Amino acid sequence: MKLLKPTWVNHNGKPIFSVDIHPDGTKFATGGQGQDSGKVVIWNMSPVLQEDDEKDENIPKMLCQMDNHLACVNCVRWSNSGMYLASGGDDKLIMVWKRATYIGPSTVFGSSGKLANVEQWRCVSILRSHSGDVMDVAWSPHDAWLASCSVDNTVVIWNAVKFPEILATLRGHSGLVKGLTWDPVGKYIASQADDRSLKVWRTLDWQLETSITKPFDECGGTTHVLRLSWSPDGHYLVSAHAMNNSGPTAQIIEREGWKTNMDFVGHRKAVTVVKFNPKIFKKKQKNGSSAKPSCPYCCCAVGSKDRSLSVWLTCLKRPLVVIHELFDKSIMDISWTLNGLGILVCSMDGSVAFLDFSQDELGDPLSEEEKSRIHQSTYGKSLAIMTEAQLSTAVIENPEMLKYQRRQQQQQQLDQKSAATREMGSATSVAGVVNGESLEDIRKNLLKKQVETRTADGRRRITPLCIAQLDTGDFSTAFFNSIPLSGSLAGTMLSSHSSPQLLPLDSSTPNSFGASKPCTEPVVAASARPAGDSVNKDSMNATSTPAALSPSVLTTPSKIEPMKAFDSRFTERSKATPGAPALTSVTPTAAERLKEQNLVKELRPRDLLESSSDSDEKVPLAKPSSLSKRKLELEVETVEKKKKGRPRKDSRLMPVSLSVQSPAALTAEKEAMCLSAPALALKLPIPGPQRAFTLQVSSDPSMYIEVENEVTVVGGVKLSRLKCNREGKEWETVLTSRILTAAGSWDVHRQVVVVKEESLHSILAGSDMTVSQILLTQHGIPVMNLSDGKAYCFNPSLSTWNLVSDKQDSLAQCADFRSSLPSQDAMLCSGPLAIIQGRTSNSGRQAARLFSVPHVVQQETTLAYLENQVAAALTLQSSHEYRHWLLLYARYLVNEGSAEEGAAEGAAASHRAEPPIPAPLHRVSGTARHPEGQVACPGLPWLQQGQGHTLAADDTQGHLSPDQAVGGGDTGRRCAVLHQRQPSSLGRCALCPGPGIASGGGSLSLPPSPACGARAGALPRCPGASKALPGLPSPARPQGGH
Amino acid sequence: MAKVSVLNVAVLENPSPFHSPFRFEISFECSEALADDLEWKIIYVGSAESEEFDQILDSVLVGPVPAGRHMFVFQADAPNPSLIPETDAVGVTVVLITCTYHGQEFIRVGYYVNNEYLNPELRENPPMKPDFSQLQRNILASNPRVTRFHINWDNTTDRLEAIETQDPSLGCSLPLNCTPIKGLGLPGCIPGLLPENSMDCI
Repeated sequence: MKLLKPTWVNHNGKPIFSVDIHPDGTKFATGGQGQDSGKVVIWNMSPVLQEDDEKDENIPKMLCQMDNHLACVNCVRWSNSGMYLASGGDDKLIMVWKRATYIGPSTVFGSSGKLANVEQWRCVSILRSHSGDVMDVAWSPHDAWLASCSVDNTVVIWNAVKFPEILATLRGHSGLVKGLTWDPVGKYIASQADDRSLKVWRTLDWQLETSITKPFDECGGTTHVLRLSWSPDGHYLVSAHAMNNSGPTAQIIEREGWKTNMDFVGHRKAVTVVKFNPKIFKKKQKNGSSAKPSCPYCCCAVGSKDRSLSVWLTCLKRPLVVIHELFDKSIMDISWTLNGLGILVCSMDGSVAFLDFSQDELGDPLSEEEKSRIHQSTYGKSLAIMTEAQLSTAVIENPEMLKYQRRQQQQQQLDQKSAATREMGSATSVAGVVNGESLEDIRKNLLKKQVETRTADGRRRITPLCIAQLDTGDFSTAFFNSIPLSGSLAGTMLSSHSSPQLLPLDSSTPNSFGASKPCTEPVVAASARPAGDSVNKDSMNATSTPAALSPSVLTTPSKIEPMKAFDSRFTERSKATPGAPALTSVTPTAAERLKEQNLVKELRPRDLLESSSDSDEKVPLAKPSSLSKRKLELEVETVEKKKKGRPRKDSRLMPVSLSVQSPAALTAEKEAMCLSAPALALKLPIPGPQRAFTLQVSSDPSMYIEVENEVTVVGGVKLSRLKCNREGKEWETVLTSRILTAAGSWDVHRQVVVVKEESLHSILAGSDMTVSQILLTQHGIPVMNLSDGKAYCFNPSLSTWNLVSDKQDSLAQCADFRSSLPSQDAMLCSGPLAIIQGRTSNSGRQAARLFSVPHVVQQETTLAYLENQVAAALTLQSSHEYRHWLLLYARYLVNEGSAEEGAAEGAAASHRAEPPIPAPLHRVSGTARHPEGQVACPGLPWLQQGQGHTLAADDTQGHLSPDQAVGGGDTGRRCAVLHQRQPSSLGRCALCPGPGIASGGGSLSLPPSPACGARAGALPRCPGASKALPGLPSPARPQGGH
Repeated sequence: MAKVSVLNVAVLENPSPFHSPFRFEISFECSEALADDLEWKIIYVGSAESEEFDQILDSVLVGPVPAGRHMFVFQADAPNPSLIPETDAVGVTVVLITCTYHGQEFIRVGYYVNNEYLNPELRENPPMKPDFSQLQRNILASNPRVTRFHINWDNTTDRLEAIETQDPSLGCSLPLNCTPIKGLGLPGCIPGLLPENSMDCI
């Protein structure tokens, strides 16, 4: 045994309360008191292990120090994966740290250069729940949970997959809880407290298994910590401070019946910390000795207040070694290296000692397999010690195991995700550019470029330039049931009345599958474009990793040739729009749909019974990862019914029938009222020999899509079953094996159909866009992101898809309203819209470039943008954002000294006063962008017609093309006000001829684009309005007229 | 924990004539989006003897501040010479950059500043009345003194609500972000003695 006291490991003389070695053995963390705060330091291990490294000036000793804890740090613990470090301290907080990879070494500003942080560790979660000092934290095996204990007498179990979720708060101790340990098998967690008890809790239900008090009856004086430990074989639990015959001991508690017959005796003062070696050992076979295998044994280190350390082997009656007076003060924490041969000890005196054992001394460590065998023989299938390979193939025997498996998957995905973010991060650092400029360029011009405004009382206000984003922000998807789907846009191939020559799927499948012709691969042809690509850059960091990550997704960029049929269909449709009833054959009216849906609902319970057996047979065919079997099936029968109910429907439309799983819906009640069953543009390999396969479509942990082909054949249409699993909830849907053209979404609660079989044709037409993501807001509004950066939401009342976000929209980039941004709201505006559009902090990025442009234009742009935002928020029924944008809009009007100042204020006031959603009178015009990038504010065409306002294109400095003369910026700006003033305009609104005007329902606004042929045709489908207006000009404008 | 940490302060255009403005390029990192603006101040210590001669050269609000790394250039006019004691005009003094959030100062960066005549003759025989136009200001940029303070970053909810419940018609035009900071003087500076070129708090 070698003993070393690395003097350079210190907290400047302040006590070190905790030490923990990283699982990979390259570094270790210490926690304790800092200058005027708590301090966590990460140290390099190699200078401890090797003298050469210690002397080498180039090898850093300290890797990172974090002063973020406000008070003394009592415990630092690495997760088993080594990715996270948890620290708990007297400030009642637990901080979870993660290495930030994209930032290189940096110095702490103001400190001298040598204190550079070699590694950057960033706090990713702050866990607040304890009302007193946190004394100990512990990661469960496999990092599923993090437990923390505190002087508030509680133990809190955190969901380590989803911080800061609390799974359980264990109450029962009547004194300060000062130590925690997990059972290596994962069944229990034990805690020791000042109340002279040691309690064992079950992880199954987080209830008390047993409370052991006898050995602690005599315990008097308190120790700072009571770090107990569980042996790696699970047999023994060893407590800290216990008493036996007035002598301090470490009590050995047998798992079998929680018997307390043995203890480690010898320390003269209370035992503060016990730590088992992670390895199980067996006697080293000596040459010539009998080959008889001895019983495996464990090794345990005991540290005490008497400043001495003892190391025990469970096969020996006496300690292996005792080191007296190792420190000047009490031992506070012990950590073994993963190989079991090294041990770090820290003390209240602020120093650390390292002990290095040899295999001769300790024995031969068992391999993980052998260890696992011991566990298996003792406990049957042991979860915690299974290797990952075993986990995935293990037969599911109990719900616990199921849970573990799922966690395991989640963990993997998490890893993947973090790997992805890391990649992304490193990419940023390599480039080191912001908006295409290098940091140096930015610095040169910072003063000139930085946006400086005056607040109302004349103070200077500078908008700082964001030079880097953090990779840690946990992006909240709480607003959505998000189902990012990556699929090729087969939807555009929807067959139509006018194009009988099109065989959509058959023609496109070979196309996109290319060489791998008869589709032997059970792969969903996914668009190569990762979901993240289309999501805003900001959100990308945080949201999910692109689907492309999942190995099973074939990333073939599907080539979809534009087909004439679209155009012909368009023209036909647009012709029909002013009142042609033909339209209804494509889209059944809402009432019809509702009826059908009710029918389906009625049918379901019966069908359910019939089908459940069916499903049980099939699920095992799929991968074992199809965990949950408690789900419903959607009936083929249902599909049939639906189809029958709609005889007029063109069979080539391939109605997609999908159904929301009732149980899923029930479990989901709390979180969301609606489940969305996305089913668009998924191409299934029809003749695939493989009947079922599973597909990971999102990095959202535990979400996968499972496809079973040819579940049955109905009416000649092959059906596939599509199952989505998200966070344990599951719903599935039956798809035709042909192209899926529609999305479905039902409001489960009200049993009404929200969206069903809405063709995406209109918005997907013409180009090779793909759907990158489908989301569902809390209000049940489906939102779809396209790969070209546009996002549409479905407007139920109009049955149309409305544009809510367009990343390429130069409006958004040019609008500069930051001067009106009140600091209070600035960051508080979050909601569906913000998520769809990404954080809008980027907006105005290019505003600077526009400064050369006349101010009027900038003003118009901004107004148009703000109007768009208001409209979008309204459509999304996001009241919070609606108010936010409306206020901004009003403020901007005021700031810019608009003539309508007062009126705008009034408008804003009245908007505020009434419940914002749904607000029957709120109708704000949307604005659109000219294809060439010029800006137009079409305003409200009806306004012109009704009131005779016409504005020449010249009004906006000639930036409008002639055919945009319908709307001038002025009217666009005024509209919000006018709406308020003239409720009577409601009536007129119904007469709207333009595509931009909404009718019915009240709360909506379409993104009108009278100038943009493609979009005008693609977007607004307002049959109601159109029908009401026979004889008025068609909203579709000649294409390509600019 | 501190939501904002200052990564670097670069002193621009240093050394420079006494009358030229101060320019600091400040980079900071914010771990969580801030609900309110940060307030930065540059304080020129006129005399080491007394805080009475401190001048707030300028004060700016910086915001909105989302999570991430940010930078900006803080420029402030040179101190008013008439407020500097004649005996302290030449020699070493201090310039401070402070940042407050919700009126609580959480960081203070101090630099030594040396004012001296460039002209050797003047250096030898300094005039009785300091000639500020001849003075050169040299900030000891390599050696900042940084003091950090723990402040409460969170306790904003009450106040925010209060603002939100204000009369909506007023809400748009009110200087929302200034009210709470008003009157909270910086430690070490007496508001009553603010020079003209300092921020007008009223």
